[in-house]
Amino acid sequence: MIYILQIIILGLCLGLVYALMATGLTLIFGVMRIVNLAHPIFILCGAYVAYWLFVLYGLDPILAIPIAAIVCGVLGAIVYKLVFEKDAGSQKYSEMTVLLTFGTAMILDGTLSFFFKNTQRVTSPSYATDAFFIGDIFLPTAQLYSGLVSLSLIVALALFLKFSTLGVAIRATSLSRVNAELVGINVKFVCLFSFILGCALAGCAGSLVSFVFSFFPAKHFEWIAVLMSLVVLGGMGSILGAVTAAILLSVLASLVGTFLAPSWSTMVFFLALFVILLIRPQGMFGKYLS
Amino acid sequence: MTKKSIYYRLLTSTIFVFIISFGVNNQANADTIKVGVSMPLTGNFAVPGTKHLEGYKTCVDVINRSGGWLDREVELVVNDNRSDTETAISQYERFINVDKVDLTFGTFSSKLTFPISPILAKYNSIHPIPSGGALRIFSQGHKNLFYFQASAAEYVGSNMVGLLNELVASEDKPTRAALVHADDFFANSIATGLLGNEVRMPGSGDLVEDMAPGYIASAGMEVVYHEQWPEEGFSDWLVLANSIKRSKADLVIALMASPEEASQFARALKIVKHNPKHLILSQGTQAEFLEALGDSAEGIIIMSAYHADAPYKGLLGGNQMNNSDFVAEYHINNGKLPDEDVAITYALCQGIDQAVRATGSLDNQKLMDWLHARTPEDPVQTVLGNFSWDERGLPLDKSFLMVQWQNDRLEFVYPTNEFQAQDIISPKPEW
Repeated sequence: MIYILQIIILGLCLGLVYALMATGLTLIFGVMRIVNLAHPIFILCGAYVAYWLFVLYGLDPILAIPIAAIVCGVLGAIVYKLVFEKDAGSQKYSEMTVLLTFGTAMILDGTLSFFFKNTQRVTSPSYATDAFFIGDIFLPTAQLYSGLVSLSLIVALALFLKFSTLGVAIRATSLSRVNAELVGINVKFVCLFSFILGCALAGCAGSLVSFVFSFFPAKHFEWIAVLMSLVVLGGMGSILGAVTAAILLSVLASLVGTFLAPSWSTMVFFLALFVILLIRPQGMFGKYLS
Repeated sequence: MTKKSIYYRLLTSTIFVFIISFGVNNQANADTIKVGVSMPLTGNFAVPGTKHLEGYKTCVDVINRSGGWLDREVELVVNDNRSDTETAISQYERFINVDKVDLTFGTFSSKLTFPISPILAKYNSIHPIPSGGALRIFSQGHKNLFYFQASAAEYVGSNMVGLLNELVASEDKPTRAALVHADDFFANSIATGLLGNEVRMPGSGDLVEDMAPGYIASAGMEVVYHEQWPEEGFSDWLVLANSIKRSKADLVIALMASPEEASQFARALKIVKHNPKHLILSQGTQAEFLEALGDSAEGIIIMSAYHADAPYKGLLGGNQMNNSDFVAEYHINNGKLPDEDVAITYALCQGIDQAVRATGSLDNQKLMDWLHARTPEDPVQTVLGNFSWDERGLPLDKSFLMVQWQNDRLEFVYPTNEFQAQDIISPKPEW
């Protein structure tokens, strides 16, 4: 029993990190219908910011979160202005954004490779390879801290969306762009802000990921498949859905990895994607798109 | 469309075509000897692939400084295969049929080398292989293969258990082995030898070699845990490490194709506080591994094709280029020591350089004949030591080096008859 509890704890900690990684992705889709395949590369940008701040100035990656968020937010604003803004009203916008974001990801991948080389990096604060032991149960500190910070950021985001004026405007725009415009919401600004917010969240996730996983520029290819499966399972555009899916699938993957075989654990994410698309294409918490 | 707009577009198109033509003309320099290299510069193998390319480039720079080959400059035609087999296949086809390269150099990993080997064999093009040690690659009957590492992956286990048998005191000898590895062509091949499984050709299922009883069993150890993780996208390192801990294995052997996985795995073992007597990895000689592990790297044993202190005599550009010269030159240019991923391709390039100079030709058949004629007494001399090959293309009388992290340095420990070995740290210090 203790062993199963241990596996669930490990899955839970990992799931919370995945949840933060997926939150920005689902937010951007919810508001702008952008299927942002470039989201993982923004996470990597955040990870590189945290890594270099740690190496050059000894800044703890958790404390580097605001800086990583700002850097990725500014980068997001530039990308949005250059790539997405002018076609925002287009009929085939969502479909177009798949290719546009993929192209953006490739350009950023190449840029990171050029500046930082294809060298694996990992931030190594003292807690990165430590654990708390409570009897036979261990809590890996890196995963624990990153999970708690992720949870705090997700709760802060949820409160912001629920209670702030801008948050209400974002939710209104995600429900209906046309109706939001009709009630006087500056949809153009809301879209820009949401994209920046999504990218800033990616930066936050990147800071946390920098000491949980090792990374290099091409790592985003691995993450996009996992993140898309989380977002689709949760329901595209649903933050609650993304968080629930991340925790659920990570715990399930840990159990499968332990009791079946590690080679099956990554399969869990894709199996879930197939099943949900067959029986409930809108995901657990999503709505049919008109 | 306005007249002004049409003129504007015409002007930009003309400039674009001019620039492209200029670039093409520059590339099509008839005097240049072209060498095709398809390397994984993005994707899963980007880290070792980039270093492999660095090795080729460093070597070609030296060759060109020495006057090139046959008084002509050597140019690498580099394509990124994105760690993808289909892309690698089409790029080698393109090198031969479209780019009309004079020679091709091999790529990284058994996964990519296996599918391109029939392509290069079809055109009777020499296929020097830097990384791609699975026995199945060399059992297809191709005569154009030359492997520039120690031995086929299936035989690597002999050095792992040889080290434990010869260097470890009896009270520190492990009895319970955990073997975990990536579901990768190379890692699977090493595991096959360790476990004593049969090597069979993919597709036909023909038996290549029966490795029974396996190196682990022959060393009197019991395999108490054996698992694979998927080739891509695996992140549950803690779960895997926790399972190993539960198995109470006192020897952990982890095989992977990428150094990134090596550091993830070792960090996970440290987090769960599993302290085997010995931890042996197939990757982890790189500086990045030490950066990720810090002091915790102490005592970890790694198989390697290369060591910076090896006193190997080599040649390049018609001049002496020993291992120490290579280390010094690389350090001057890059401010760091070369690791095995750079040295392997550098050695391959040294081998081909010697063949071109000896034959005075770029004829692939002549080069292959010359390389096949090498013997242990009259070998190719490189920074990885001397090379001569059997008819399959596997090196004769060579074995992998076993190295160990000691005080933040990678020390050579086995086989002790290769060159001056350091004393082994045994057992591995606790995390």
